Amino acid sequence: MAAIGTTVKQQYVERFGAAERMEHIVLIISFSMLAITGLPQRYANYQIAKDFIELLGGIESIRIMHRFFATLLMAGAIYHGGALTYKIYVRGSSLNMLPTVKDLRDLIGWVLYNLGLRKEHPKMGRYNFGEKAEYLALVWGTLVMIATGFMMWNPIATSKILPAEVIPAARLAHSSEALLAVASIIIWHMYNVHVRRFNRAMFTGKMPVHHMEEEHALELVAMQEGTATPVVPAEIMARRHKRFWPYAVLMTILLTIGLFFFVTFEDSALDTVPRQPVEASVDINPDQGNAEAGAAKWESLQCGRCHGETGQGVPPIPAIRSTRLEFALFAADIRRGPADMPAYGPGQASEQDIADLYAYLRSSLE
Amino acid sequence: MVIIALWPSSSPSPSVFKHPIVEAQDGGSGTAKQPTGNNAYCAVCHSQEGRTVELADGLTLDLHVTPDMIADSVHGTSNPEGVLGCVDCHGEDAFPHDDPLPENGRAFTIQMSQICTDCHVDQAQDNLDGVHAQGLANGNLRAAVCVDCHGAHDVQPIQNHPELAAQTCGTCHTSIFDEYKESIHGEALLVEGNSDVPTCITCHGVHGINTPTTAQFRNRSPELCASCHADKDLMAKYDISTNVFDTYLNDFHGTTVAMFEQDDPDVASNKAVCYDCHGVHNITPADDSKSQVAKENLLATCQQCHPNASSDFPDAWVGHFEPSRDRHPLVFVVDLFYKILIPGVIGGFAFLVGTDIFARARHIGGGKKDKGHRAPDSDVLAKSDPKKEG
Repeated sequence: MAAIGTTVKQQYVERFGAAERMEHIVLIISFSMLAITGLPQRYANYQIAKDFIELLGGIESIRIMHRFFATLLMAGAIYHGGALTYKIYVRGSSLNMLPTVKDLRDLIGWVLYNLGLRKEHPKMGRYNFGEKAEYLALVWGTLVMIATGFMMWNPIATSKILPAEVIPAARLAHSSEALLAVASIIIWHMYNVHVRRFNRAMFTGKMPVHHMEEEHALELVAMQEGTATPVVPAEIMARRHKRFWPYAVLMTILLTIGLFFFVTFEDSALDTVPRQPVEASVDINPDQGNAEAGAAKWESLQCGRCHGETGQGVPPIPAIRSTRLEFALFAADIRRGPADMPAYGPGQASEQDIADLYAYLRSSLE
Repeated sequence: MVIIALWPSSSPSPSVFKHPIVEAQDGGSGTAKQPTGNNAYCAVCHSQEGRTVELADGLTLDLHVTPDMIADSVHGTSNPEGVLGCVDCHGEDAFPHDDPLPENGRAFTIQMSQICTDCHVDQAQDNLDGVHAQGLANGNLRAAVCVDCHGAHDVQPIQNHPELAAQTCGTCHTSIFDEYKESIHGEALLVEGNSDVPTCITCHGVHGINTPTTAQFRNRSPELCASCHADKDLMAKYDISTNVFDTYLNDFHGTTVAMFEQDDPDVASNKAVCYDCHGVHNITPADDSKSQVAKENLLATCQQCHPNASSDFPDAWVGHFEPSRDRHPLVFVVDLFYKILIPGVIGGFAFLVGTDIFARARHIGGGKKDKGHRAPDSDVLAKSDPKKEG
């Protein structure tokens, strides 16, 4: 870990180990891709967002990508929880990411210094107020995103536990938090570690001493005094290892199962039942008529009064020759009432009635 | 205006109605005829009632056509071109007729309908793209042709009678007509004679009727509904909110469908469109207990697509309302929270960055050769000779 060895001759101190740097790279990838695939969805009503979504293969594909990188981010969060526990429990590190009153004083001192109202630049520890704010914002933001993301990913399960109104609220919170996170990263993070000075520590692991002086003066002193990292006797370390690993393995398994459930729990919100189109074709089926019922309908509608007892026709009223008459025309004539014939609506002659009449005429003429 | 492309350019709206022949002459396309108007010769036989002929398929073909029928039709005295004569459509034919009788009644009707296309070129062209012409081409003889809807000798003008359009379609599409009749639109049209409401052809078009089961129709359907429901003047008459379209677009379903509509109009999306929730032909107001979106029916409506939806699930939809203190207070509070938090945090960071830029500018302006922003008090480095660690 942090040590001043030969590196000091080149005016460098080691700041981050390989695992921490790797973790950061995974975070860069997942965070950036989540922003790239997420923010266009927030602004989907804008043409530029639509074009961008189209560029990435359309809305459905961008959503799948978003879910993929969300899973990566959550896996990273699980790892981070384990690594943090290891540092605190096994290595005995202090909770140096938590804010203290001193951070508030440093912040005020730093602003006053910048404004020329104070001569001395505040001396800060391993993590200064700006880094703590960013880290805690990341933790808070990730928790909000995971919680609200779960609600959108599994809306039906959510609505069984919580009032369903949380789902649109989660959607709003998710996209608002995203905007906050991305804007913070651009304004605060990008400025501090890229614009005002390129801080390579997260990639090389090393930080020049004169940067340490300005941003982590107290830690530099502690390093020189050898108190930067607690010294843990080997036997205690071994005992802690023995306790830590079963716990870490168990937690990793449990959380991975949890993650698996998260991403696969619910499919009804995604795989919906396809809608059945409205049947548009002509509805009456000529083959489902019942001749007996048709005979009764013939009587009740009094068709024979004009068309003759058997539909033979009474000039000038034409015969009904349904046996070979095209059925659609037969049905249409009843509905429309050609020439002087009254129209029979569905209330007077249902579809089934028409099919029955058709069957009756066909049978009576056979 | 994308919607317009969905159905034919020949609008059913009376105000846009143009006489096909007059138009054809103006536009220089189509066949302009000089009507003969003299139907006396044919009328000698055809005005006799009861004159029929039986076709080989058993259909009794009524040959009774009187000059009055023509005179009272659109092709009669109201025709700006003059009264059409029998021969204008049927051609010169000597008596006795030497053409063989058609064998099949329906085939005869279809064949006779071709005559209409001689003058009504645009409509005929549109019709070729429509479901009926396609059905006919695929061998479905029941598919409607011109005279099925318009009549043959007694063609009446369509202006000012939107309800006739619905009734005409209802002749064959009976069960759909029955549903429509009970809907808010159908009731207004058929009972109150209100022509603001959509009739069949408003959504489906007239001659070039598109298949309404395509992905394209589905993806564009919200804009179709919006063409009236986002029209402020029209909706103001009925005190209906025009926010429905925007709130839909801002919702998960609407965002997705709008995206498909733009990028992949031919690819089906499984996200709900207006008619999935409100119904297709049977739309009733949301406060009607028959409505699919009435409170008591909402769960069943959601379950059409989300079969596992639980009783509280419908509350996940904010129902076309902008969240407010009274309606969806949780969404309102989250909105308010971030409306304060985002400017607060970003503003705070911007202020801090600003002070740093200010300090650096001051140092540079002061002519200080500063590599990076170095703390002036560098005694830490002075003390930091690397002796202790090694």
